[in-house]
Amino acid sequence: MEKQKLEALLIDYIDGTLGAADRLAVEEEIRTSDEARTLYDQLRLVMNAMHESSPLEPSGDLRKGFESMLKQEISGTGKGKSVFFQPSFYRVAAAVALLIVGGGIGFWISKEQRQADELAAVRKEMERTKQMMMAMLENQQSASQRVLGATVAFNDIEKADDEIVNALIQAMNEDPNTNVRIAALEALGKFHRQPHVRKALIASLSTQKDPLVQIALIRLMVEMKEKNITRELERISNDEEALPAVKDEAQAGILKLS
Amino acid sequence: MTDEMIMEAVKRGELQQASVLFERYNRRIFNFLARMTMDRESAEDLTQNVFLRIIKYRNSYKEGARFQSWIYQVARNIFSDHYQAHKNRFADFVGVEKVSDNMPEEESEMWDEREILLHRSMAKLGEEQREILILTRFQQLKYEEVAVIMDTTVANIKVKVHRAIAKLREHYFELEKT
Repeated sequence: MEKQKLEALLIDYIDGTLGAADRLAVEEEIRTSDEARTLYDQLRLVMNAMHESSPLEPSGDLRKGFESMLKQEISGTGKGKSVFFQPSFYRVAAAVALLIVGGGIGFWISKEQRQADELAAVRKEMERTKQMMMAMLENQQSASQRVLGATVAFNDIEKADDEIVNALIQAMNEDPNTNVRIAALEALGKFHRQPHVRKALIASLSTQKDPLVQIALIRLMVEMKEKNITRELERISNDEEALPAVKDEAQAGILKLS
Repeated sequence: MTDEMIMEAVKRGELQQASVLFERYNRRIFNFLARMTMDRESAEDLTQNVFLRIIKYRNSYKEGARFQSWIYQVARNIFSDHYQAHKNRFADFVGVEKVSDNMPEEESEMWDEREILLHRSMAKLGEEQREILILTRFQQLKYEEVAVIMDTTVANIKVKVHRAIAKLREHYFELEKT
């Protein structure tokens, strides 16, 4: 019997959904063919493993979060979480765009004073965007908000000041969640021309323990053609505790930089 | 009271009733999202977003629709919205060694070898195959219901389940050898 068809029949047989004729045919196959017998045993094992897999328990934070969200909704002051972030962000972006247009018209109409005021307003809006990003990045309750914070830094911040850079470096090195660390690294990659950032990336390579972040860091610095990391890459490629994938990446990095 | 009657009440503005739905579904939705994202913290966030969306968009619940199918559809949408931007960005080097790292430690410790292997094999499946096994096998939903959730036919679900189990078996015994 063709393997794919046999597998389908065996799965239905284990599920107990076969008709009498098919059931007999499958039993005959299992009895007479070693291959069918092995396939049957293996399928039964994985199917049982899925069936008996222990459920995961959410932490108490989920219930607390739900209760406070429900309270807010009932009192009609609910502001929501990440799902409502984007529209409000677009509003801020639209406001910034309007102000820039406004600034242009101001220049035409009434010269410098007007222009200076408008520019100050634009700066204020930019500052607000930055504060919003920082608040998200520092949200200890929600990893997805922190990822979003790093994504805002990546997409919407043109030049990062020290405060932003330090927050991103801290997230890359210390955040408990891999997705946040990688998003922070990606955002830092965008600002790599700033010397402070470059130094922090190099330093992180020697302390970083998360293999996913290590690999992403190596790739980024190879792209940046950062030759100062060659020695560190050699150390990683000889490190017995490093995962094979990380060692391979380090080895490839050495070759590309040499 | 059935889920549907409670949801109707929520739709009429009795928002407090949503907590009954939370009691009935939070674990299931959390488990679905935790196994999809393989990240407990994100799964809790996303689970809360599912309930928030259900309350905010209560008027889009159609009278007579099965609540369970609807809440899973909302959960799928939330998952796909959240992961669209990040999906596969680093997938090419996500080693199986890594997978359980964002899962709760106490659970990883409790897991026996078979469960750890299962978890790693699941991580090697594509998103669609993983989803179909989570729904039909881990959560034990009927094929008919999964067909509604995924907006397809029962026959199609059945074929997909067969393929996904066959693939899972391959990964499981490949990993067992290493």
